[in-house]
Amino acid sequence: MSAVTAAETAAPTTPTTGSATPSRPRRKRASALWKHKALYLMAVPGILYFLAFKYAPMGGLVIAFQDYMPFLGIGGSPWVGFDHFVRFFTEDTFLVLLRNTVVISLLLLVFAFPVPIILALLLNEVRTKVFQRSVQTVIYLPHFMSWVIVASIFYVLLSTDGGAVNNLIVEWGGQPIPFLTDPDWLRPLYVGQEIWKGAGWGTIVYLAAMTAVDTQLYEAAELDGAGRMRQTWHITLPAIRPTIIVMFILAIGDFLELGFEHMFLVMNSLNRSVGDIFDTYVYTTGIENGQLSYAAAVGLFKGLVGLVLVIMANRLAKRFGEEGVY
Amino acid sequence: MRTGMFVKGAAVAAVAALALTACGNGGSGEEAEVDDGPISWMAMLHTPTTPEKDGVIESALEEYTGQEFDMQWVPDASKEEKINSALASGKLADIVSLTMGDSTQVRQALGSGQFWDVEKYLADYPNLAKIDPETLEAAKLDGKLYGVPFQKIKARYGVLVRQDWLDKLGLETPHTIEDLTKVAEAFATQDPDGNGKDDTTGFIDREESFLVGFRSLTGYFGAGDKFEVTGDGQVVPAFTTDAFKEAMEWYRGVYEKGAVNQEFVTVQKTNQQDAIAQGKGGIVVTGLFEAKNYQALAESANPKTPMKWALVNDMKTADVDHRILTDTGGGMGGWLAFPKNEVKSEAELKKVLTFIDKLMDEEAFGLMTNGVEDTHYTIDGDGVVTITDQTAWEQEVQPYASSRPSEKVVMYKSTSPYVDEANEKMAEQEPDVVINPAQSLSSDTFDRQWSTIEEQVNDAYNQYITGQIEMADYDAVIEGLRSQGLDQIIEEYTAAYAKVNG
Repeated sequence: MSAVTAAETAAPTTPTTGSATPSRPRRKRASALWKHKALYLMAVPGILYFLAFKYAPMGGLVIAFQDYMPFLGIGGSPWVGFDHFVRFFTEDTFLVLLRNTVVISLLLLVFAFPVPIILALLLNEVRTKVFQRSVQTVIYLPHFMSWVIVASIFYVLLSTDGGAVNNLIVEWGGQPIPFLTDPDWLRPLYVGQEIWKGAGWGTIVYLAAMTAVDTQLYEAAELDGAGRMRQTWHITLPAIRPTIIVMFILAIGDFLELGFEHMFLVMNSLNRSVGDIFDTYVYTTGIENGQLSYAAAVGLFKGLVGLVLVIMANRLAKRFGEEGVY
Repeated sequence: MRTGMFVKGAAVAAVAALALTACGNGGSGEEAEVDDGPISWMAMLHTPTTPEKDGVIESALEEYTGQEFDMQWVPDASKEEKINSALASGKLADIVSLTMGDSTQVRQALGSGQFWDVEKYLADYPNLAKIDPETLEAAKLDGKLYGVPFQKIKARYGVLVRQDWLDKLGLETPHTIEDLTKVAEAFATQDPDGNGKDDTTGFIDREESFLVGFRSLTGYFGAGDKFEVTGDGQVVPAFTTDAFKEAMEWYRGVYEKGAVNQEFVTVQKTNQQDAIAQGKGGIVVTGLFEAKNYQALAESANPKTPMKWALVNDMKTADVDHRILTDTGGGMGGWLAFPKNEVKSEAELKKVLTFIDKLMDEEAFGLMTNGVEDTHYTIDGDGVVTITDQTAWEQEVQPYASSRPSEKVVMYKSTSPYVDEANEKMAEQEPDVVINPAQSLSSDTFDRQWSTIEEQVNDAYNQYITGQIEMADYDAVIEGLRSQGLDQIIEEYTAAYAKVNG
């Protein structure tokens, strides 16, 4: 059991530190450890953090195999084996949840993932530093707003009962569009909000990677008569490719982890048919209906799928000659 | 060398910081267990800010009762999560306000034997001994009383209609559903606020329509309070009955004419209040006492607001006489419950019960209702209470008002226009009250499945009203739920009902 749980959330949190080569004799390794003792000491707080807040709570996952009752505790609750998993996979809701989660995740990968890269490339081409910096600051801002604020802003803008956007549409002679309640609008709305909130912040890592590109390459390319587009295509993009791939693998790891808060805030009973995802389902069954064990089983399933996806993506990246995340 | 020093220094600093954090965590997690210490009380907060710790009201109550206590406020909006997780983790207080009487989690927790059964103790306390027997009965679970019930007025709901709009359009105050429909349509189409724009509607409803506003309306059509007993002794959910569906058909008609705010499924309670205060609609199905609050909210934005309310407590249809669904579970607003792992002995329980009993004395009730005389309010020769410092009252007194063990100790007269009227009209309709027959019955399937079932019916209701599905689809949803526990619930309740009513 503990092996499964330990592996489960190890995926998204694996630190990217290099490991000592296993072939070396033990004495050498020990002396290497001693030589870098200051570095290891610095890593101690981080390791303790992961042990205390990431690994230790995983023990609680055993309730997925119990009929957990809070007053009896983990020790006293009866064991039920895989009952919760069987129930989950045989219920009709499973397919709906899987479809909704996968569709939104795919939309995010296709539409939201490339946006920071494109933005970063554009910013990189800006020559006026003041302008570049101010644009960066402005696009970072949404990242610091909580989803509650973001959802409220969109609510005020998009409501049909006096929302600004619909007022405009009506003024121009159109029919009000029920953005907030029409199931067809939920996914575009969700992806749009993700982009608005996260794209600016996402550029940071790519911009950092771009600063590492040797400027001589650009100079040489310019001498060879390459224009801006060619420089971007042949120098900048290849240079940040490892970064893009690492980010992509990490994004794949979160494939089923859309996060509960955002969806919970934009979902209502009229668009629930396309909005209910694993995270909101865990919330309603676990917290609202008190089926803690069942919710834990669903959560565990989600984590395992994430782990498998990360391993697969990493293997694939390595096969194509890239570095991967571990 | 210098970098080496720096690295070591940083590492030491990091470790030290971590050690400090660890201490901080350890310290806050433990709670002192002293028998004669203050009583802790986990209560709901209905105001945006918490009152100051050891503030005026708390000190005055401590002085009056001779008992120190600490409040642990839980914002009412997040009470489900907070209380459920507190119940799940067992981290409770000596007194826990459990206001969600029909929450499965709460009922399971009460039934699990973790709370004191208080029935046999009540007779020893002057105020607790006087609790309305009907309310006590409604507060029991399978014949056991796991806490002191919050006593409320049995039926507070009614229909609020903008009187100034009625006057403007030359309409009479509606007392039948037929007239109410006409008024709603007139409000939506005839520009009752006279600003030349088509920006008003009839009903201002909200997300919880199915559970709150609309539910109350179904009572006028003859539906039961959540459950009802059929002619052949079956206990069935109200939403499966013809009366309920008739009400749905009517409400959809009103909605289609634009006389209900079109996106009510996205509207939260505060949005609803704002919309009413801003004059976006003229009919609200809610507690009659709310008229005063809407008026105050509108006046805070515009002191010259023309807003006036008609409080209707006798709505009926052509074939059904006036009846009103209880919104307080038969005068029972939940329990003040005492967990055995906090209140460890009978002696401690008696201490807590003494404290609650004293809170029901007139003086303590006055403190929790009006505040301190001459600080928050004045009282004249006729017994009319005037809140003199509204801001201080809202910050210091109002939070305690919703924690009063009984709301019925004294009815103060008020200068504010709608308070006395609401109190009178609420008392007037108490004989017509309809109480859920299944409330004090228990059904395992209900506890396990009801919230899932209710959510699905709630969704289907919203979809039907907004025109996404038809009545046949709504029926299909209910038929589908029969195999998911609905029939089982009916069976279990019917059996339990037969057992009690032999």
